[in-house]
Amino acid sequence: MSDLENAVQLIHFQPDEGWQHVIIAEQDLCKNCQGKPCLTICPSGVFAWNNCDSDPVLVFYKQCVECGACRLICPYENIAFAFPHGGYGVAYRQG
Amino acid sequence: MLKYWYEHKTTDSPHPTVCLSARPYDQAPVKKYDAIVVGAGPAGSSAAYFMAKEGMDVLLLERGAYPGAKTCGGSAVIAEHTHKLFPNFWDELDYERIVTDQAYWFMTEDSILSTGFRSNKLAAAPFNRFTVRRPNFYKWLAHKAAEAGATLLLSHNATEALFDGKQAVGVKISAPQNCYYLADIIILADGVNSMLAERAGLAPRVSPLNLSLYVKETISLPAETIEERFNLLPGHGSTIGLIGYPTAGFNGTGAIHLYKDAISLNVGMSVGDFAKSGLRPHDLLDRLKKHPLMQPLLKGGVVEEYGGSMIPEGGYNAVPKLVHPGLLITGDAASLVNGVHGYNLAMWSGYFAAQAAYAAKKARDFSVKKLSLYRTLLNESFVMQDLKANAGAAALQRDIPYMFDLYTRMANEAAFHSAKVYTMPKRARRVFIFKKITSMQPVLKIIRDVWKTLKVVR
Repeated sequence: MSDLENAVQLIHFQPDEGWQHVIIAEQDLCKNCQGKPCLTICPSGVFAWNNCDSDPVLVFYKQCVECGACRLICPYENIAFAFPHGGYGVAYRQG
Repeated sequence: MLKYWYEHKTTDSPHPTVCLSARPYDQAPVKKYDAIVVGAGPAGSSAAYFMAKEGMDVLLLERGAYPGAKTCGGSAVIAEHTHKLFPNFWDELDYERIVTDQAYWFMTEDSILSTGFRSNKLAAAPFNRFTVRRPNFYKWLAHKAAEAGATLLLSHNATEALFDGKQAVGVKISAPQNCYYLADIIILADGVNSMLAERAGLAPRVSPLNLSLYVKETISLPAETIEERFNLLPGHGSTIGLIGYPTAGFNGTGAIHLYKDAISLNVGMSVGDFAKSGLRPHDLLDRLKKHPLMQPLLKGGVVEEYGGSMIPEGGYNAVPKLVHPGLLITGDAASLVNGVHGYNLAMWSGYFAAQAAYAAKKARDFSVKKLSLYRTLLNESFVMQDLKANAGAAALQRDIPYMFDLYTRMANEAAFHSAKVYTMPKRARRVFIFKKITSMQPVLKIIRDVWKTLKVVR
Protein backbone atom coordinates (compact mmCIF):
# COMPACT_ATOMS: atom_id res chain seq x y z
CA MET A 1 0.00 0.00 0.00
CA SER A 2 2.76 2.43 0.76
CA ASP A 3 4.20 1.70 -2.70
CA LEU A 4 0.96 3.05 -4.06
CA GLU A 5 1.11 6.04 -1.78
CA ASN A 6 4.61 6.82 -3.03
CA ALA A 7 3.46 6.53 -6.60
CA VAL A 8 0.48 8.79 -6.03
CA GLN A 9 2.77 11.41 -4.50
CA LEU A 10 4.35 11.79 -7.92
CA ILE A 11 1.16 12.85 -9.62
CA HIS A 12 0.46 16.51 -9.98
CA PHE A 13 -3.00 17.65 -8.91
CA GLN A 14 -4.86 20.91 -8.72
CA PRO A 15 -7.16 20.03 -5.83
CA ASP A 16 -10.56 21.65 -5.67
CA GLU A 17 -11.07 22.47 -2.02
CA GLY A 18 -14.54 23.76 -2.70
CA TRP A 19 -16.16 20.87 -4.52
CA GLN A 20 -15.89 17.10 -4.36
CA HIS A 21 -16.30 15.53 -7.78
CA VAL A 22 -16.56 11.89 -6.78
CA ILE A 23 -18.78 10.83 -3.89
CA ILE A 24 -20.48 7.79 -2.49
CA ALA A 25 -24.13 8.54 -2.94
CA GLU A 26 -25.52 6.45 -0.09
CA GLN A 27 -23.12 5.18 2.55
CA ASP A 28 -25.75 2.74 3.83
CA LEU A 29 -25.62 0.76 0.60
CA CYS A 30 -21.92 0.12 1.18
CA LYS A 31 -22.74 -1.84 4.31
CA ASN A 32 -24.32 -4.54 2.16
CA CYS A 33 -21.47 -4.67 -0.28
CA GLN A 34 -19.36 -7.77 0.21
CA GLY A 35 -16.67 -7.30 -2.38
CA LYS A 36 -16.22 -3.52 -2.24
CA PRO A 37 -14.34 -3.55 -5.54
CA CYS A 38 -13.86 0.21 -5.36
CA LEU A 39 -11.25 -0.31 -2.66
CA THR A 40 -9.00 -2.30 -4.95
CA ILE A 41 -9.67 -1.12 -8.46
CA CYS A 42 -8.91 2.55 -8.03
CA PRO A 43 -5.45 3.17 -9.49
CA SER A 44 -4.78 5.95 -7.00
CA GLY A 45 -6.42 4.55 -3.90
CA VAL A 46 -9.19 7.10 -3.55
CA PHE A 47 -11.45 4.75 -1.62
CA ALA A 48 -10.44 3.58 1.83
CA TRP A 49 -12.18 1.60 4.51
CA ASN A 50 -11.00 0.31 7.83
CA ASN A 51 -13.06 -2.88 7.74
CA CYS A 52 -15.38 -1.63 10.45
CA ASP A 53 -19.03 -1.91 9.47
CA SER A 54 -19.93 1.15 11.45
CA ASP A 55 -17.36 3.28 9.66
CA PRO A 56 -17.98 4.79 6.26
CA VAL A 57 -15.97 4.24 3.12
CA LEU A 58 -13.76 7.28 2.76
CA VAL A 59 -13.29 9.05 -0.55
CA PHE A 60 -10.00 10.86 -0.98
CA TYR A 61 -11.18 12.66 -4.07
CA LYS A 62 -8.21 14.97 -4.27
CA GLN A 63 -6.00 12.10 -5.44
CA CYS A 64 -8.43 10.94 -8.10
CA VAL A 65 -6.92 10.52 -11.55
CA GLU A 66 -10.40 10.61 -13.11
CA CYS A 67 -10.17 7.30 -14.89
CA GLY A 68 -13.83 6.55 -14.19
CA ALA A 69 -13.38 2.88 -13.27
CA CYS A 70 -15.09 3.24 -9.88
CA ARG A 71 -18.34 4.46 -11.32
CA LEU A 72 -18.58 1.39 -13.52
CA ILE A 73 -17.48 -1.17 -10.99
CA CYS A 74 -19.73 -0.36 -8.08
CA PRO A 75 -22.30 -3.17 -7.87
CA TYR A 76 -24.86 -0.75 -6.45
CA GLU A 77 -24.13 2.09 -8.87
CA ASN A 78 -23.54 4.02 -5.73
CA ILE A 79 -20.62 6.15 -6.84
CA ALA A 80 -21.57 9.50 -8.27
CA PHE A 81 -18.64 10.37 -10.47
CA ALA A 82 -18.34 13.62 -12.37
CA PHE A 83 -15.32 15.32 -13.77
CA PRO A 84 -13.81 18.04 -11.61
CA HIS A 85 -14.51 21.64 -12.42
CA GLY A 86 -12.55 23.17 -15.24
CA GLY A 87 -8.82 23.30 -14.54
CA TYR A 88 -8.99 21.20 -11.38
CA GLY A 89 -8.05 17.61 -10.73
CA VAL A 90 -5.21 15.62 -12.15
CA ALA A 91 -2.69 17.31 -14.44
CA TYR A 92 -0.34 14.77 -15.96
CA ARG A 93 3.04 16.21 -16.78
CA GLN A 94 4.63 13.23 -18.53
CA GLY A 95 1.47 11.68 -19.83
CA MET B 1 -22.79 -9.76 -8.84
CA LEU B 2 -21.46 -10.87 -12.21
CA LYS B 3 -24.95 -10.72 -13.66
CA TYR B 4 -25.00 -7.01 -13.05
CA TRP B 5 -22.16 -6.47 -15.45
CA TYR B 6 -24.09 -8.00 -18.30
CA GLU B 7 -26.92 -5.55 -18.05
CA HIS B 8 -26.33 -2.17 -19.42
CA LYS B 9 -28.89 0.39 -20.17
CA THR B 10 -29.55 1.42 -23.70
CA THR B 11 -31.68 4.24 -24.92
CA ASP B 12 -32.92 4.60 -28.43
CA SER B 13 -33.23 8.28 -28.94
CA PRO B 14 -31.93 11.35 -27.22
CA HIS B 15 -34.19 12.97 -24.72
CA PRO B 16 -33.90 16.70 -24.42
CA THR B 17 -31.89 17.69 -21.39
CA VAL B 18 -32.67 21.34 -21.58
CA CYS B 19 -35.38 23.01 -23.53
CA LEU B 20 -33.93 26.28 -24.62
CA SER B 21 -36.86 28.29 -23.40
CA ALA B 22 -35.51 27.61 -19.91
CA ARG B 23 -31.99 28.93 -20.34
CA PRO B 24 -29.16 27.32 -18.42
CA TYR B 25 -27.95 29.48 -15.57
CA ASP B 26 -30.76 31.83 -16.51
CA GLN B 27 -28.53 33.89 -18.75
CA ALA B 28 -27.73 34.39 -22.40
CA PRO B 29 -25.20 32.16 -24.11
CA VAL B 30 -21.70 33.54 -24.30
CA LYS B 31 -21.52 33.10 -28.07
CA LYS B 32 -22.79 31.04 -30.95
CA TYR B 33 -20.19 29.21 -33.01
CA ASP B 34 -20.37 27.18 -36.20
CA ALA B 35 -19.12 24.19 -34.27
CA ILE B 36 -18.15 23.26 -30.75
CA VAL B 37 -15.68 20.48 -30.13
CA VAL B 38 -15.63 19.00 -26.64
CA GLY B 39 -12.17 17.71 -25.76
CA ALA B 40 -8.79 18.82 -27.09
CA GLY B 41 -7.38 15.36 -27.56
CA PRO B 42 -6.31 13.80 -30.85
CA ALA B 43 -9.86 13.48 -32.14
CA GLY B 44 -11.07 16.87 -30.95
CA SER B 45 -8.06 18.88 -32.01
CA SER B 46 -8.04 17.23 -35.43
CA ALA B 47 -11.72 17.97 -35.94
CA ALA B 48 -11.21 21.56 -34.81
CA TYR B 49 -8.17 22.00 -37.03
CA PHE B 50 -9.83 20.80 -40.21
CA MET B 51 -12.99 22.77 -39.59
CA ALA B 52 -11.04 25.92 -38.80
CA LYS B 53 -9.01 25.48 -41.96
CA GLU B 54 -12.24 25.60 -43.94
CA GLY B 55 -12.98 28.91 -42.34
CA MET B 56 -15.50 27.69 -39.80
CA ASP B 57 -15.79 29.45 -36.46
CA VAL B 58 -14.84 26.67 -34.07
CA LEU B 59 -14.77 26.49 -30.29
CA LEU B 60 -12.46 23.82 -28.87
CA LEU B 61 -13.13 23.12 -25.22
CA GLU B 62 -10.72 21.36 -22.89
CA ARG B 63 -11.46 20.70 -19.22
CA GLY B 64 -7.80 20.34 -18.29
CA ALA B 65 -5.44 23.21 -17.60
CA TYR B 66 -3.63 22.23 -20.81
CA PRO B 67 -4.25 19.65 -23.53
CA GLY B 68 -3.08 16.24 -22.34
CA ALA B 69 -3.48 17.06 -18.64
CA LYS B 70 -6.24 14.52 -18.26
CA THR B 71 -4.84 11.44 -19.88
CA CYS B 72 -1.85 9.19 -19.57
CA GLY B 73 -0.27 6.13 -21.12
CA GLY B 74 2.98 5.55 -22.93
CA SER B 75 2.25 6.17 -26.51
CA ALA B 76 3.47 5.92 -30.02
CA VAL B 77 2.24 7.89 -33.00
CA ILE B 78 1.84 6.00 -36.25
CA ALA B 79 3.70 8.00 -38.84
CA GLU B 80 1.89 7.37 -42.09
CA HIS B 81 -1.58 7.97 -40.75
CA THR B 82 -0.49 11.18 -39.10
CA HIS B 83 1.59 12.31 -42.08
CA LYS B 84 -1.39 12.04 -44.40
CA LEU B 85 -3.32 14.44 -42.21
CA PHE B 86 -0.44 16.62 -41.06
CA PRO B 87 2.35 16.41 -43.63
CA ASN B 88 5.85 16.28 -42.20
CA PHE B 89 4.50 16.56 -38.67
CA TRP B 90 7.80 15.25 -37.35
CA ASP B 91 9.39 18.60 -38.09
CA GLU B 92 6.97 20.30 -35.73
CA LEU B 93 6.21 17.76 -33.04
CA ASP B 94 8.51 17.29 -30.07
CA TYR B 95 8.61 13.51 -30.31
CA GLU B 96 10.73 11.28 -28.15
CA ARG B 97 12.33 8.57 -30.27
CA ILE B 98 12.01 7.22 -33.79
CA VAL B 99 10.82 3.65 -33.42
CA THR B 100 13.08 1.28 -35.28
CA ASP B 101 12.39 -1.76 -33.15
CA GLN B 102 9.01 -3.32 -32.55
CA ALA B 103 8.79 -6.41 -30.45
CA TYR B 104 6.52 -8.66 -28.43
CA TRP B 105 7.70 -10.34 -25.30
CA PHE B 106 5.75 -13.36 -24.15
CA MET B 107 6.64 -13.60 -20.50
CA THR B 108 6.37 -16.18 -17.75
CA GLU B 109 7.73 -15.76 -14.23
CA ASP B 110 11.24 -16.58 -15.29
CA SER B 111 11.42 -16.54 -19.06
CA ILE B 112 10.73 -14.35 -22.05
CA LEU B 113 10.01 -15.56 -25.56
CA SER B 114 10.54 -12.56 -27.76
CA THR B 115 9.69 -11.85 -31.32
CA GLY B 116 10.77 -8.60 -32.78
CA PHE B 117 11.84 -6.78 -35.84
CA ARG B 118 14.24 -3.91 -36.08
CA SER B 119 15.43 -2.06 -39.11
CA ASN B 120 17.22 1.19 -39.73
CA LYS B 121 14.98 1.67 -42.75
CA LEU B 122 12.31 2.64 -40.24
CA ALA B 123 14.49 5.53 -39.17
CA ALA B 124 14.12 7.39 -42.43
CA ALA B 125 11.17 9.41 -43.70
CA PRO B 126 8.32 8.67 -43.92
CA PHE B 127 9.15 6.68 -40.77
CA ASN B 128 6.87 4.19 -39.12
CA ARG B 129 6.25 5.24 -35.54
CA PHE B 130 7.43 7.79 -33.03
CA THR B 131 7.19 7.55 -29.27
CA VAL B 132 5.70 10.68 -27.74
CA ARG B 133 4.80 11.99 -24.34
CA ARG B 134 1.11 12.64 -24.42
CA PRO B 135 1.10 16.25 -23.24
CA ASN B 136 3.59 17.14 -25.99
CA PHE B 137 1.50 15.46 -28.64
CA TYR B 138 -1.80 16.87 -27.42
CA LYS B 139 -0.38 20.37 -27.02
CA TRP B 140 1.09 20.32 -30.53
CA LEU B 141 -2.19 19.24 -32.08
CA ALA B 142 -4.33 21.69 -30.09
CA HIS B 143 -1.88 24.45 -30.93
CA LYS B 144 -2.27 23.63 -34.62
CA ALA B 145 -6.01 23.91 -34.29
CA ALA B 146 -5.66 27.25 -32.56
CA GLU B 147 -3.25 28.48 -35.23
CA ALA B 148 -5.74 27.48 -37.89
CA GLY B 149 -8.27 29.76 -36.24
CA ALA B 150 -10.08 27.64 -33.68
CA THR B 151 -10.79 29.21 -30.32
CA LEU B 152 -9.16 27.00 -27.71
CA LEU B 153 -10.56 27.40 -24.20
CA LEU B 154 -8.73 25.55 -21.47
CA SER B 155 -10.09 24.70 -18.02
CA HIS B 156 -13.58 24.64 -19.50
CA ASN B 157 -15.49 21.57 -18.39
CA ALA B 158 -18.49 20.85 -20.60
CA THR B 159 -20.99 18.87 -18.58
CA GLU B 160 -24.02 18.58 -20.82
CA ALA B 161 -25.05 18.93 -24.39
CA LEU B 162 -28.02 21.22 -24.85
CA PHE B 163 -30.91 20.29 -27.07
CA ASP B 164 -33.79 22.02 -28.75
CA GLY B 165 -36.11 19.07 -29.12
CA LYS B 166 -33.85 16.41 -30.58
CA GLN B 167 -31.43 18.80 -32.22
CA ALA B 168 -28.17 19.44 -30.42
CA VAL B 169 -27.63 23.16 -30.12
CA GLY B 170 -24.96 23.81 -27.54
CA VAL B 171 -23.02 22.79 -24.47
CA LYS B 172 -23.19 23.80 -20.85
CA ILE B 173 -19.99 24.65 -18.99
CA SER B 174 -19.63 23.85 -15.30
CA ALA B 175 -18.02 25.93 -12.59
CA PRO B 176 -15.94 28.01 -12.45
CA GLN B 177 -17.27 29.59 -15.63
CA ASN B 178 -20.94 28.56 -15.29
CA CYS B 179 -21.94 29.56 -18.79
CA TYR B 180 -23.02 27.97 -22.03
CA TYR B 181 -22.26 28.15 -25.73
CA LEU B 182 -24.38 27.46 -28.77
CA ALA B 183 -23.40 25.96 -32.11
CA ASP B 184 -24.90 24.36 -35.19
CA ILE B 185 -22.74 21.30 -34.75
CA ILE B 186 -21.43 19.70 -31.59
CA ILE B 187 -18.57 17.27 -31.91
CA LEU B 188 -17.96 15.06 -28.89
CA ALA B 189 -14.35 14.07 -28.42
CA ASP B 190 -14.45 13.82 -24.66
CA GLY B 191 -12.76 10.50 -24.27
CA VAL B 192 -13.57 7.04 -23.05
CA ASN B 193 -15.91 8.27 -20.30
CA SER B 194 -18.08 10.38 -22.52
CA MET B 195 -20.41 11.75 -19.92
CA LEU B 196 -22.01 14.06 -22.44
CA ALA B 197 -23.06 11.27 -24.73
CA GLU B 198 -24.33 9.14 -21.88
CA ARG B 199 -26.14 11.94 -20.11
CA ALA B 200 -27.95 12.91 -23.27
CA GLY B 201 -28.99 9.35 -23.86
CA LEU B 202 -27.04 9.25 -27.09
CA ALA B 203 -24.84 6.37 -26.12
CA PRO B 204 -25.44 3.60 -23.64
CA ARG B 205 -23.50 3.62 -20.41
CA VAL B 206 -20.14 2.04 -21.12
CA SER B 207 -19.81 -1.50 -19.90
CA PRO B 208 -16.96 -2.64 -17.65
CA LEU B 209 -16.54 -5.58 -19.99
CA ASN B 210 -15.62 -3.29 -22.85
CA LEU B 211 -13.14 -1.14 -21.05
CA SER B 212 -9.63 -1.80 -19.90
CA LEU B 213 -7.89 0.01 -17.10
CA TYR B 214 -4.22 0.72 -17.67
CA VAL B 215 -1.67 2.09 -15.25
CA LYS B 216 1.69 3.42 -16.22
CA GLU B 217 4.88 4.78 -14.81
CA THR B 218 7.40 7.00 -16.50
CA ILE B 219 10.82 5.96 -15.26
CA SER B 220 13.67 8.25 -16.13
CA LEU B 221 17.08 7.00 -17.16
CA PRO B 222 19.87 8.70 -19.10
CA ALA B 223 19.53 8.41 -22.86
CA GLU B 224 22.83 6.56 -23.23
CA THR B 225 21.76 3.99 -20.66
CA ILE B 226 18.54 3.32 -22.51
CA GLU B 227 20.37 3.00 -25.80
CA GLU B 228 22.85 0.63 -24.23
CA ARG B 229 20.31 -1.59 -22.53
CA PHE B 230 18.02 -1.85 -25.51
CA ASN B 231 20.83 -1.85 -28.06
CA LEU B 232 19.72 1.17 -30.02
CA LEU B 233 21.35 3.94 -31.97
CA PRO B 234 20.97 7.43 -30.49
CA GLY B 235 17.52 8.79 -31.19
CA HIS B 236 16.10 5.41 -32.07
CA GLY B 237 13.56 3.69 -29.89
CA SER B 238 11.53 0.57 -29.25
CA THR B 239 7.95 -0.28 -28.58
CA ILE B 240 7.57 -3.62 -26.89
CA GLY B 241 4.29 -5.39 -26.20
CA LEU B 242 4.32 -7.51 -23.06
CA ILE B 243 2.06 -10.52 -22.89
CA GLY B 244 1.47 -13.15 -20.25
CA TYR B 245 3.13 -12.54 -16.91
CA PRO B 246 2.21 -8.82 -16.69
CA THR B 247 -1.48 -9.54 -16.31
CA ALA B 248 -1.22 -12.33 -13.77
CA GLY B 249 -3.29 -14.96 -15.48
CA PHE B 250 -5.82 -12.66 -17.09
CA ASN B 251 -6.02 -11.43 -20.66
CA GLY B 252 -4.48 -8.05 -21.04
CA THR B 253 -1.26 -6.45 -22.10
CA GLY B 254 1.65 -4.40 -20.98
CA ALA B 255 3.97 -2.24 -22.99
CA ILE B 256 7.30 -0.54 -22.93
CA HIS B 257 7.74 2.68 -24.87
CA LEU B 258 11.15 4.24 -24.91
CA TYR B 259 11.39 7.97 -24.53
CA LYS B 260 14.53 10.06 -24.98
CA ASP B 261 15.47 9.80 -21.34
CA ALA B 262 12.79 7.67 -19.81
CA ILE B 263 11.05 4.34 -20.08
CA SER B 264 7.29 4.35 -20.13
CA LEU B 265 5.96 1.12 -18.69
CA ASN B 266 2.30 0.27 -18.62
CA VAL B 267 0.05 -2.69 -17.93
CA GLY B 268 -3.67 -3.19 -17.96
CA MET B 269 -6.61 -5.48 -18.34
CA SER B 270 -10.35 -5.34 -18.47
CA VAL B 271 -12.15 -3.50 -15.69
CA GLY B 272 -14.37 -6.53 -15.20
CA ASP B 273 -11.30 -8.72 -14.63
CA PHE B 274 -9.85 -6.30 -12.10
CA ALA B 275 -13.05 -6.42 -10.13
CA LYS B 276 -13.30 -10.20 -10.36
CA SER B 277 -9.76 -10.71 -9.22
CA GLY B 278 -9.47 -7.98 -6.63
CA LEU B 279 -6.05 -7.15 -8.02
CA ARG B 280 -4.89 -3.61 -7.55
CA PRO B 281 -3.68 -1.98 -10.74
CA HIS B 282 -0.56 -0.62 -9.14
CA ASP B 283 0.34 -4.05 -7.78
CA LEU B 284 0.40 -5.41 -11.32
CA LEU B 285 2.82 -2.72 -12.32
CA ASP B 286 4.96 -3.28 -9.27
CA ARG B 287 5.08 -6.99 -9.90
CA LEU B 288 6.10 -6.40 -13.48
CA LYS B 289 8.93 -4.13 -12.44
CA LYS B 290 10.22 -6.81 -10.09
CA HIS B 291 10.35 -9.50 -12.77
CA PRO B 292 13.92 -10.88 -12.81
CA LEU B 293 14.37 -10.02 -16.48
CA MET B 294 12.81 -6.56 -16.19
CA GLN B 295 14.84 -5.42 -13.23
CA PRO B 296 18.14 -5.06 -15.07
CA LEU B 297 16.42 -2.91 -17.67
CA LEU B 298 14.99 -0.55 -15.07
CA LYS B 299 17.94 -0.49 -12.69
CA GLY B 300 18.81 2.97 -11.50
CA GLY B 301 15.66 4.44 -12.96
CA VAL B 302 13.74 7.08 -11.07
CA VAL B 303 9.96 7.04 -11.26
CA GLU B 304 8.85 10.44 -12.51
CA GLU B 305 5.13 9.94 -12.70
CA TYR B 306 2.39 7.39 -12.19
CA GLY B 307 -1.09 7.37 -13.61
CA GLY B 308 -4.10 5.40 -14.77
CA SER B 309 -6.54 5.66 -17.63
CA MET B 310 -9.22 3.57 -19.22
CA ILE B 311 -9.15 2.48 -22.83
CA PRO B 312 -12.21 1.38 -24.78
CA GLU B 313 -11.57 -2.13 -26.02
CA GLY B 314 -15.00 -3.28 -27.02
CA GLY B 315 -14.17 -2.81 -30.66
CA TYR B 316 -16.67 -2.62 -33.47
CA ASN B 317 -19.56 -4.03 -31.48
CA ALA B 318 -19.21 -1.38 -28.82
CA VAL B 319 -19.32 1.58 -31.18
CA PRO B 320 -22.45 3.61 -30.34
CA LYS B 321 -24.61 5.49 -32.79
CA LEU B 322 -22.22 8.16 -34.03
CA VAL B 323 -24.46 10.55 -35.93
CA HIS B 324 -27.20 12.49 -34.19
CA PRO B 325 -29.10 15.62 -35.10
CA GLY B 326 -26.44 18.30 -34.90
CA LEU B 327 -23.98 16.09 -33.05
CA LEU B 328 -21.15 13.71 -33.96
CA ILE B 329 -19.16 11.41 -31.70
CA THR B 330 -15.45 10.85 -32.37
CA GLY B 331 -12.38 9.18 -30.93
CA ASP B 332 -12.44 7.20 -27.69
CA ALA B 333 -15.91 8.52 -26.98
CA ALA B 334 -16.98 6.54 -30.03
CA SER B 335 -15.01 3.47 -28.92
CA LEU B 336 -12.77 3.87 -31.96
CA VAL B 337 -9.80 1.93 -30.68
CA ASN B 338 -8.44 -1.14 -32.41
CA GLY B 339 -5.63 -2.88 -30.57
CA VAL B 340 -2.73 -0.43 -30.48
CA HIS B 341 -4.49 1.93 -32.86
CA GLY B 342 -6.00 4.76 -30.90
CA TYR B 343 -4.41 8.02 -31.97
CA ASN B 344 -4.76 7.40 -35.67
CA LEU B 345 -8.39 6.31 -35.44
CA ALA B 346 -9.12 9.32 -33.28
CA MET B 347 -7.41 11.78 -35.62
CA TRP B 348 -9.02 10.37 -38.72
CA SER B 349 -12.43 10.30 -37.09
CA GLY B 350 -11.90 13.96 -36.21
CA TYR B 351 -10.94 14.66 -39.82
CA PHE B 352 -14.02 12.89 -41.18
CA ALA B 353 -16.25 14.63 -38.68
CA ALA B 354 -14.82 17.96 -39.82
CA GLN B 355 -15.61 17.14 -43.42
CA ALA B 356 -19.16 16.18 -42.59
CA ALA B 357 -19.55 19.30 -40.47
CA TYR B 358 -18.28 21.55 -43.23
CA ALA B 359 -20.59 19.97 -45.79
CA ALA B 360 -23.49 20.44 -43.40
CA LYS B 361 -22.60 24.07 -42.81
CA LYS B 362 -22.37 24.82 -46.52
CA ALA B 363 -25.79 23.27 -47.07
CA ARG B 364 -27.13 24.75 -43.82
CA ASP B 365 -28.50 21.32 -43.08
CA PHE B 366 -27.54 19.84 -39.72
CA SER B 367 -29.78 16.84 -39.83
CA VAL B 368 -28.76 13.26 -39.32
CA LYS B 369 -29.12 12.65 -43.04
CA LYS B 370 -26.62 15.32 -43.98
CA LEU B 371 -24.21 14.52 -41.17
CA SER B 372 -24.24 10.84 -42.06
CA LEU B 373 -21.41 11.69 -44.39
CA TYR B 374 -19.29 11.20 -41.26
CA ARG B 375 -20.34 7.59 -40.86
CA THR B 376 -19.97 6.94 -44.57
CA LEU B 377 -16.43 8.29 -44.58
CA LEU B 378 -15.59 6.16 -41.56
CA ASN B 379 -17.09 3.05 -43.14
CA GLU B 380 -15.15 3.51 -46.35
CA SER B 381 -11.87 4.04 -44.60
CA PHE B 382 -9.48 1.80 -42.74
CA VAL B 383 -11.09 3.01 -39.51
CA MET B 384 -14.27 1.00 -39.69
CA GLN B 385 -12.95 -1.66 -41.98
CA ASP B 386 -10.21 -2.66 -39.60
CA LEU B 387 -12.47 -2.37 -36.58
CA LYS B 388 -15.02 -4.57 -38.27
CA ALA B 389 -12.36 -7.09 -39.25
CA ASN B 390 -11.35 -7.40 -35.61
CA ALA B 391 -14.87 -7.24 -34.26
CA GLY B 392 -14.65 -10.58 -32.62
CA ALA B 393 -11.48 -9.83 -30.70
CA ALA B 394 -13.13 -8.48 -27.57
CA ALA B 395 -15.55 -11.37 -27.38
CA LEU B 396 -12.76 -13.83 -28.07
CA GLN B 397 -10.84 -12.55 -25.08
CA ARG B 398 -13.88 -13.04 -22.90
CA ASP B 399 -14.52 -16.45 -24.42
CA ILE B 400 -11.01 -17.69 -23.76
CA PRO B 401 -10.10 -15.95 -20.51
CA TYR B 402 -6.91 -17.92 -20.10
CA MET B 403 -5.73 -17.33 -23.65
CA PHE B 404 -2.82 -14.96 -23.13
CA ASP B 405 -1.54 -16.65 -20.04
CA LEU B 406 -1.78 -20.30 -21.02
CA TYR B 407 -0.51 -20.00 -24.56
CA THR B 408 2.33 -17.81 -23.44
CA ARG B 409 3.31 -20.49 -20.97
CA MET B 410 3.05 -23.16 -23.60
CA ALA B 411 5.13 -21.20 -26.05
CA ASN B 412 7.76 -20.54 -23.42
CA GLU B 413 7.75 -24.18 -22.40
CA ALA B 414 8.22 -25.32 -25.98
CA ALA B 415 10.94 -22.74 -26.51
CA PHE B 416 12.70 -23.81 -23.32
CA HIS B 417 12.82 -27.42 -24.32
CA SER B 418 13.86 -26.51 -27.84
CA ALA B 419 16.65 -24.31 -26.59
CA LYS B 420 17.89 -26.80 -24.05
CA VAL B 421 20.21 -29.44 -25.39
CA TYR B 422 19.20 -32.89 -24.28
CA THR B 423 20.96 -36.18 -24.60
CA MET B 424 17.85 -37.75 -26.08
CA PRO B 425 17.71 -37.98 -29.88
CA LYS B 426 16.04 -35.09 -31.71
CA ARG B 427 13.03 -37.10 -32.75
CA ALA B 428 12.42 -38.23 -29.22
CA ARG B 429 12.80 -34.67 -28.07
CA ARG B 430 10.10 -33.49 -30.45
CA VAL B 431 7.75 -36.09 -29.09
CA PHE B 432 8.75 -35.03 -25.59
CA ILE B 433 7.96 -31.37 -26.32
CA PHE B 434 4.67 -32.29 -27.93
CA LYS B 435 3.70 -34.33 -24.88
CA LYS B 436 4.72 -31.48 -22.57
CA ILE B 437 2.62 -28.98 -24.47
CA THR B 438 -0.41 -31.18 -24.73
CA SER B 439 -0.18 -31.95 -21.04
CA MET B 440 -0.82 -28.25 -20.46
CA GLN B 441 -3.83 -28.16 -22.74
CA PRO B 442 -5.57 -31.02 -24.54
CA VAL B 443 -4.97 -31.09 -28.30
CA LEU B 444 -8.61 -30.68 -29.19
CA LYS B 445 -8.88 -27.59 -27.04
CA ILE B 446 -5.78 -26.14 -28.66
CA ILE B 447 -7.26 -26.75 -32.09
CA ARG B 448 -10.55 -25.22 -31.03
CA ASP B 449 -8.87 -22.13 -29.60
CA VAL B 450 -6.67 -21.68 -32.65
CA TRP B 451 -9.68 -22.01 -34.91
CA LYS B 452 -11.61 -19.44 -32.90
CA THR B 453 -8.67 -17.06 -33.04
CA LEU B 454 -8.17 -17.47 -36.77
CA LYS B 455 -11.80 -16.66 -37.39
CA VAL B 456 -11.42 -13.41 -35.53
CA VAL B 457 -8.03 -12.25 -36.69
CA ARG B 458 -8.50 -11.56 -40.33
